[in-house]
Amino acid sequence: MSKAKTINLTLKVWRQNGSSGIGHFETHQAKDISTDMSFLEMFDVINQQIIKLGGDPIAFDHDCREGICGMCSMTINGNPHGPDRETATCQLHMRRFEDGETLVVEPFRARAFPVQKDLVVDRSGLDRIIAAGGFVSVSTGNARDANGIPVPKLDSDLAFDAASCIGCGACVAACKNASAMLFTGAKVSHLALLPQGAVEKDRRVLKMVAQMDKEQFGSCSNTGACEAACPKGITLENMARMNRQYLAASVTSR
Amino acid sequence: MSGIQSTSGPGFFTSSIGKKYVVGLMAIGITLFALTHMLGNMLLFVSPKAYNIYSHTLISNPAIVAIELVLLAIFLVHVAFTIWTTIENKAARGNRKFLTTKGAKSVSWSSTTMFYHGVVIFFFVAWHLKTFKYGTNYDVTYNGVLMRDIHRLLVEVFQSPFYVWSYVFCVVFLGYHLNHGVQSVFQTLGFNHPKYSPAIRKLGVAYAVVVAVGFILQPLYVYFFMKQ
Amino acid sequence: MKLNSKVPKGPLEQKWESHKFQMKLVNPANKRKYKVIVVGTGLAGASAAAAMAELGFEVKAFTYHDSPRRAHSIAAQGGINAAKNYANDGDSVYRLFYDTIKGGDFRAREANVYRLAEVANAIIDQCVAQGVPFAREYGGLLDNRSFGGAQVSRTFYARGQTGQQLLLGAYQALMRQVGLGTVELYNRREMLELVVADGAARGIVCRNLMTGAIESHAADAVILATGGYGNAFYLSTNAKACNATAIWKAYKKGAAFANPCFTQIHPTCIPVSGEHQSKLTLMSESLRNDGRVWVPKKAGDHRPPSQIPDEERDYYLERVYPSYGNLAPRDVSSRQAKFRVDEGRGVGESRMAVYLDFRDALKRLGHSKITERYGNLFQMYEKITDENPYEVPMRIYPAVHYTMGGLWVDYNLMSTVPGLHVLGEANFSDHGANRLGASALMQGLADGYFIIPYTIADYLTSAKLPKVDTKHDAFRAAENDARMRMQKLLSVKGGRTVDEFHRELGLILWEYVGMSRNDAGLRKALVEIPKLREEFWQDVRVPGELNFLNPELEKASRVADYFELGELMARDALHRTESCGGHFREESQTPDNEAKRDDERFAYVAAWEYKGESKEPEMHKESLEFERIQLATRSYK
Repeated sequence: MSKAKTINLTLKVWRQNGSSGIGHFETHQAKDISTDMSFLEMFDVINQQIIKLGGDPIAFDHDCREGICGMCSMTINGNPHGPDRETATCQLHMRRFEDGETLVVEPFRARAFPVQKDLVVDRSGLDRIIAAGGFVSVSTGNARDANGIPVPKLDSDLAFDAASCIGCGACVAACKNASAMLFTGAKVSHLALLPQGAVEKDRRVLKMVAQMDKEQFGSCSNTGACEAACPKGITLENMARMNRQYLAASVTSR
Repeated sequence: MSGIQSTSGPGFFTSSIGKKYVVGLMAIGITLFALTHMLGNMLLFVSPKAYNIYSHTLISNPAIVAIELVLLAIFLVHVAFTIWTTIENKAARGNRKFLTTKGAKSVSWSSTTMFYHGVVIFFFVAWHLKTFKYGTNYDVTYNGVLMRDIHRLLVEVFQSPFYVWSYVFCVVFLGYHLNHGVQSVFQTLGFNHPKYSPAIRKLGVAYAVVVAVGFILQPLYVYFFMKQ
Repeated sequence: MKLNSKVPKGPLEQKWESHKFQMKLVNPANKRKYKVIVVGTGLAGASAAAAMAELGFEVKAFTYHDSPRRAHSIAAQGGINAAKNYANDGDSVYRLFYDTIKGGDFRAREANVYRLAEVANAIIDQCVAQGVPFAREYGGLLDNRSFGGAQVSRTFYARGQTGQQLLLGAYQALMRQVGLGTVELYNRREMLELVVADGAARGIVCRNLMTGAIESHAADAVILATGGYGNAFYLSTNAKACNATAIWKAYKKGAAFANPCFTQIHPTCIPVSGEHQSKLTLMSESLRNDGRVWVPKKAGDHRPPSQIPDEERDYYLERVYPSYGNLAPRDVSSRQAKFRVDEGRGVGESRMAVYLDFRDALKRLGHSKITERYGNLFQMYEKITDENPYEVPMRIYPAVHYTMGGLWVDYNLMSTVPGLHVLGEANFSDHGANRLGASALMQGLADGYFIIPYTIADYLTSAKLPKVDTKHDAFRAAENDARMRMQKLLSVKGGRTVDEFHRELGLILWEYVGMSRNDAGLRKALVEIPKLREEFWQDVRVPGELNFLNPELEKASRVADYFELGELMARDALHRTESCGGHFREESQTPDNEAKRDDERFAYVAAWEYKGESKEPEMHKESLEFERIQLATRSYK
C-alpha cells in the first residue's frame, strides 16, 4: 500500500499485432501516477502519452469499470486481474503498488483465447459453452406465476453465488491447464440448484462439457488457481457439483 | 457463431471430466495400496521372521499374479491417462508459458507439480521392483517351510547410503503427491462441501505424512541400527 | 413529418388487450421468411432477439462487445418493479402505472406507461422461469423491498446485482437461440449507418471492430436497443463504450429524436477524484435509507468532518424537505447537492461533494446491522476512495446516470422511419421527464419480451415490402458514407486526443445542460459546442488505421456524434422553459427553489426532425393527453 500521492512505475506491456503476429514486451515509464487512479486509468494516461508522441496506443478491453461486465482482462505480474483477491482489474487502484515497482502486464492467455491485439483476446469460446446448454429451455410466455414453485432460500443463495460469475475468463488465464471448468461449473451449478433449471440438468452438463472440450480448454488438476483468481469469489464447490452431475448424467444417459 | 456441439458429445472416458475420474479412481487404488504396503512393512520393527512370513503369505497366495496384474493395470492406467491429459493441458495453455501466480493468489506447490513428482515416483517404483521383487533370492526356513528371506535383502540394500537417501528423497515426493492427491480425488469425484472439505484437506495431509514417514522410517532404521 | 402515436381507442385497461387482438399475426410457416436485425444485446435487445427467434423469425443480433453478456444493463444494482402485490400492501397495476407516470412528472404517454405496468408481472414470472435467482424468504417465496420513494414494496431484487442477473437470463435465452441456429450473433460489430431503402428501414452498415471491415446487413425490419446517450457528458455512470451512434445515425435518416434534454442525474455517486477520472461509480440509492446528507454551515469550513459539531452542520435535505428528508427523489436531491456546492460549502479535496454520514445509524443500529445492510457497498466505496465509511462519512456527488429522452416511437415502438423500431433506454417512451428507481429494467424487458414480438409481426405482415438485399444502392451509399467518415477522422492528424475533446465537451454539457439550466447558459452552450466541434474536425488526432482493431477510431466516431447530439440537447433544453423532472430551468421555479411545471404550454413531447447538415432541426409536438389521471404538482416537503 503506497501512501504517496503519486508514484512512478515501469511497465512491461505485451504488444502483439493481430492473432498471427509475434508478440513482445514493450517498456513504458508511468510517471506521476496518482494513487487514486484505477489500473485502467493509468493505461488511459499512458495511451494519451503514446498518442501525443505519434505512437500506437495499447489496445485493451474494458467497459463498465465497476467490476461487473467482465470485459477487462489484464494479467499483472502473473496474476489475472492483479494481486488482490476478488478484485477485477478495473477496481484495482494504484495505491496498491509501491513507488518504483516494475509491473509486467500481459493478456489473459490460453490457446482458446487467441490474442487479437496487445492485451485484447477472443473469449467467444465461453459464449459457445453457454449456447450449448447454459440456459433453461423456456420460451417467452410459458412461465407460471413466479411464486408457483417455492425455492429453499439456501439453494437460491447458492445459485446466486454461482450466477455471479462475470465471464471474464480469469479462471482460464490463471489455470496452468487453461481449463474453463470453474466457468462451466458455475453455470451448471447455478441452473441445477434451482428447480426451474434442474429439469434438464443432465442434458445441460453433458452438452456444456462437450462444448468446453471442443473449444480445447484444458482439464482440471485441482490446483485452485481459478478460485484464487476469480474476481467474484466463485468456489471450487461448483466444479465438484459439475463433476458428480457429469458422472450421473453419463451413467444414466441412453 | 457456429460450431455448437449438436449431440451429447464424446464418450465419458474421452471427456475432460471422465479422464479425471479415471485418474482419480485409479489413484484411490494406488493410495490404499501404498498405505497397506507401508503398514505391512512395519513388521520390520517386529522381527525378521514376522516380516518374512508376512511376505511369504502374500506371494504364496494363488491369486497373487492376478492381483499383481490388476495393480499394475491400475498404475499404468493412472500414468497413461495422466500423460494424456498433461499433453492436452500443455497444448491448451498455448505456446507462451505463463508467469506463475503469486501472493494472495498463489496455490500450493504440490498441486502444480503433480506431474513431476509423478514422474519421479514412476521411476522409483520401477527401480524398487527391480531391487526387491526381482532382487537376489535368499532362502530361509521357518517351521519347516522354505521361503524367501526378503528381510536379508532389505538389510543388505539399505546399507548403501546412496540407496537410503534416494529412497527417502523419492518417498518425500510420494508424500507431496499424496498431499495434493488425496484431497484432489475427493474434489474430482464431486465431494466438496464447506462442512467436510476442511477435514478432507487435513485428512490428505495426515495421510501423506503417515505414509511417507512410515516408509522413511524403515530404511533409516536399517541404516542406523541394523549395521551388518 | 407527422407524429401519430397510434394509441388504440378504448378504455385504458383494455387498450393493449384489444390492440393485441387487432394486430395481424404471421403464419408460423411464414415467420422464418422474415428477417429482423436487432442492434444491441442488453436487456431490451437480448430479450427481443430471443423472443422473436422463439417465435420463428430469422434474427441477426449485433453487439460491439465480445459477448452479449457485457451490455451495460449488467451494472444495474437496485431491482425491478412489478405490481405482484405479494407484500399485500395495496399494490396494483394501476398504482404502478400511476407512480411511474407521476414520477416522470407527467411527461410520458399514458397508454404506454399503463401497458408497461400491465406486463410487468409477466416479466417476473419469465425471469424466475429462466433461473434468475431473485432474493427469497425462508419460506421459499420471493422477497420484495421498497425503492425510490414508492409507498409499496414492489421491487424484486437479486442482492445488489439485479441487472446482472436479469441480463444473464436474457443472454442465456439469446444464446439458446444462437445454439439452435435461429439467431445469428455478430459480436464486435458497431453500427455506423441505418439503411433506408424505398422509404423503410431495411438494414444496417456496421464496422467489424476486429478487422475494421465495413459490412452491410439487410433485413425486413431493424430494431435498435442501443441504450442511452449519457456518455455525451464524458463522465457518467455509463460504461466506457456506451454510445449514441446508432440512434444518432437513425435520427439523421429521419427518425425523430424526442425530449433529448431529459437526462437523469443520480444523487449518490462517488465524486470525481481528479483529472484522470474516466467514469463515475454509482452507490445504490438504498444508502439514503440510513445515511444522513450534510455539508458544513459555513462556506470554506475545511475541518475534517469529525471536528465539525452538529450545530455547525447543515442537514439540508432534512431541513428543506421535512417529510421526505434524506429520501427525497433523485432529481430533487441532486439539485440540492449542487446548490450547496455552488454556495461554496462542498466538501472533500475537490469541494465538489457532500457528506453521506452513517455516524448516527451506526450508533443506533450497531456496526453489524449496517454491515448486513450495506456491507458490499461500504467495501466498494473503500476500494475506490481508500476511506473507511464506518469511520469517516462518505463523500457523494450527483452524476449523469440515465437518459429519458431518445428516439420517438409510437405505441408499437416504431419510430418515424417505417420498420425502424426502438426499445429500452434508446427510445423516449415510458419515463417522461424523470425515471423512478427499478423502472429501467422493467421497461427494457417489457419492450423486448412482451411488446415487440407482437408489434413487429403486425408491421411485417402489413408493410408489403419489396425485396431488398445488400446489393441495393442504399447499402452502397451508406457503406460509402461510413467509410468516408472514418477516413476523414483518421486524416485530420491534429494535435489533440479524442479524450481531450470529449472531456471538454463533457464540461460544457455538465455546466450548461446539466443539473440546472438557464437561458443564457444554454445559449452559450449552443455557441461553444459547435465551436469545439469545428476544432475537433480540425485538430483531432486519431492514430492507427481503418482496417484493424482501432479503439481510438471507435471513440472518435462516437464523440463526433456527441457533439451534434449535445447541441440538440441544449436546443431542446432551451425551448422547454418550464422545469420538469430532470430538466430544471432556473427561470421556472417557485420562490423556495422548487421546479415549476407549465402544463399549459409544455404538456407535449418535443420530437426533433433532422433537416440536413448545418440546418436547424425542426421540432414537432406530440401533445400528451391524459384521459385518466389528473395532473398534479409533485411535492416532497
